[in-house]
Amino acid sequence: MMKRHTVKELQSMIADHSASSQEIYKIYNKRIRAMNDSINAFISIESNEYSSDDKQPDSEISGVPYAVKDIFCSEGDQTTCGSKMLSDFVSPYDATVVKNLREKGTVILGKTNMDEFAMGSSNETSFFGNVNNPWDLERTPGGSSGGSAAAVAAGMAPIALGTDTGGSIRQPAALTGITGLKPTYGRCSRFGMIAFASSLDQAGILSISAEDSAIFLEHMAGYDEKDSTSSSETVPKYTDFLNDDLTGKVVGLPKEFFDGSLDSRFQELVTDSICEYEKMGVKFKDISLPNIKYSVPTYYVVAPAECSSNLARYDGVRFGHRSTDGEDLDAFYKRTRKEGFGQEVKRRIITGTYVLSAGYYDAYYLKAQKVRQLINQDFLDAFKQVDFIMGPTTQQSAFKLGEKVDDPVSMYMNDIYTISSNLSGVPAISHPIGFVDKLPFGLQIIAPHFKEHELLNIAHKYQMVTDWHLQTPEICKEMD
Amino acid sequence: MSIDKSDIEHLCNLSKLNLDDEEQSVFLSQMQSILDMIEELQEVDTGDIEPMAHPLQMTQRLRDDEVTEFNDREKYQNNTDFVEDGFYKVPKVIE
Repeated sequence: MMKRHTVKELQSMIADHSASSQEIYKIYNKRIRAMNDSINAFISIESNEYSSDDKQPDSEISGVPYAVKDIFCSEGDQTTCGSKMLSDFVSPYDATVVKNLREKGTVILGKTNMDEFAMGSSNETSFFGNVNNPWDLERTPGGSSGGSAAAVAAGMAPIALGTDTGGSIRQPAALTGITGLKPTYGRCSRFGMIAFASSLDQAGILSISAEDSAIFLEHMAGYDEKDSTSSSETVPKYTDFLNDDLTGKVVGLPKEFFDGSLDSRFQELVTDSICEYEKMGVKFKDISLPNIKYSVPTYYVVAPAECSSNLARYDGVRFGHRSTDGEDLDAFYKRTRKEGFGQEVKRRIITGTYVLSAGYYDAYYLKAQKVRQLINQDFLDAFKQVDFIMGPTTQQSAFKLGEKVDDPVSMYMNDIYTISSNLSGVPAISHPIGFVDKLPFGLQIIAPHFKEHELLNIAHKYQMVTDWHLQTPEICKEMD
Repeated sequence: MSIDKSDIEHLCNLSKLNLDDEEQSVFLSQMQSILDMIEELQEVDTGDIEPMAHPLQMTQRLRDDEVTEFNDREKYQNNTDFVEDGFYKVPKVIE
């Protein structure tokens, strides 16, 4: 049982009684305790989720354990968002996605490490220390859902929840050799998910296989009256679409994603995966997304603006860190926020305040929202001719910890391929396509709004004929 | 667009955030490179483009004006020690 298991495998073990859900839970719990010192994937570890007389709901995922990014509220649990500001915060209620999964009988293994308030691409902004990539402990697992990605890659959890505002599921999935799905904006409720940039944030899944994501998404997604931006679009049974024929499907390759800037060894992996898809009857077509080059600057206006507004709630009064200094209310707020937030969060609050401040609103924020419309229009136009868009998920594999930490702009460029789907709201998935120097690399596939079922199917079909997603880091083998 | 130390101080005040001197000087150069990066947006012709505030074209839903949440004050106030008689405590505001 010490090898990595997919949700699919756990389901059949529970069904044929070869392992009880309690036994499975204990094995993962033990494994987390044994590995967390070297990987630091978890901020808090649950242990009392089960008593033997718990009556489990009858569902296909009943008894399946999972890890939760520490950005989701889960009732009675510490929920830190990777920040000193919330290091003592205990959620009084469940986020809707957690509640949905709880009602289906899944159990939480623990809360995973992340960049502070999900702001970062390397997990180095966490107040609880960086996460180490299971493929090479001196490298980053990516971010901001780095703890969730590392946990799944190392077999500390079969599947994990993450959030994706600019690439925070897909980039760490690519850097740790697993599958990461960012659903359409509004597909999953944001209620109880600590807000960073509300028009971009979306809950999603990090898993070994696309099939596992398909199994979980059905139970997570759906309209929530507590989130007015959640969509009332029907949630399909995603697993029904797995194995649909791909013959005749058309994939667009944007010239902006293939501008020659990718290292040739990574380019080779992308080309190989395209060949694999061609064998399945997929057709490829060159396309252009002319405004996509403005994605990063657009994002770094919109996201900090929304962040500065959302993070105004951390004032030390009702919850969270509270300064013991401060002679008057104004000084108290300022000290509380100085002490509670880390550097990256402060930088984004100040950037956001700048682009929203009197005299700059039109020049920056309104301008960025207009460019965002153009980027969105590029996607809508492209999807009139193609069913999917493909390209690399990242420009490089996992980089060394500390390498980019002092250079925010270079760190921001990590998300160059992923940000545009958040701006447009379209769903996207990253799946592993091979290794360079023993480090995994990922392919990103983007689909039109609410076509998660097609996205999961195409990635699943690839995973049926390849085994990159089943490769396991050495550190897991040492555990056996 | 270039910014200086007094801009940073003004922004700190607007965002209710103290920075020490070292943070201020690091932020100043980092903010400058972030602003240079976002300056690129000015070259885009956005003429009569409608700004995009939300990824899905949807209108705000309305619900009936009925009580759906009940007072859970004690539960929510468990997240701070600075509560008295059901009120949150802050530094003195009125002399």
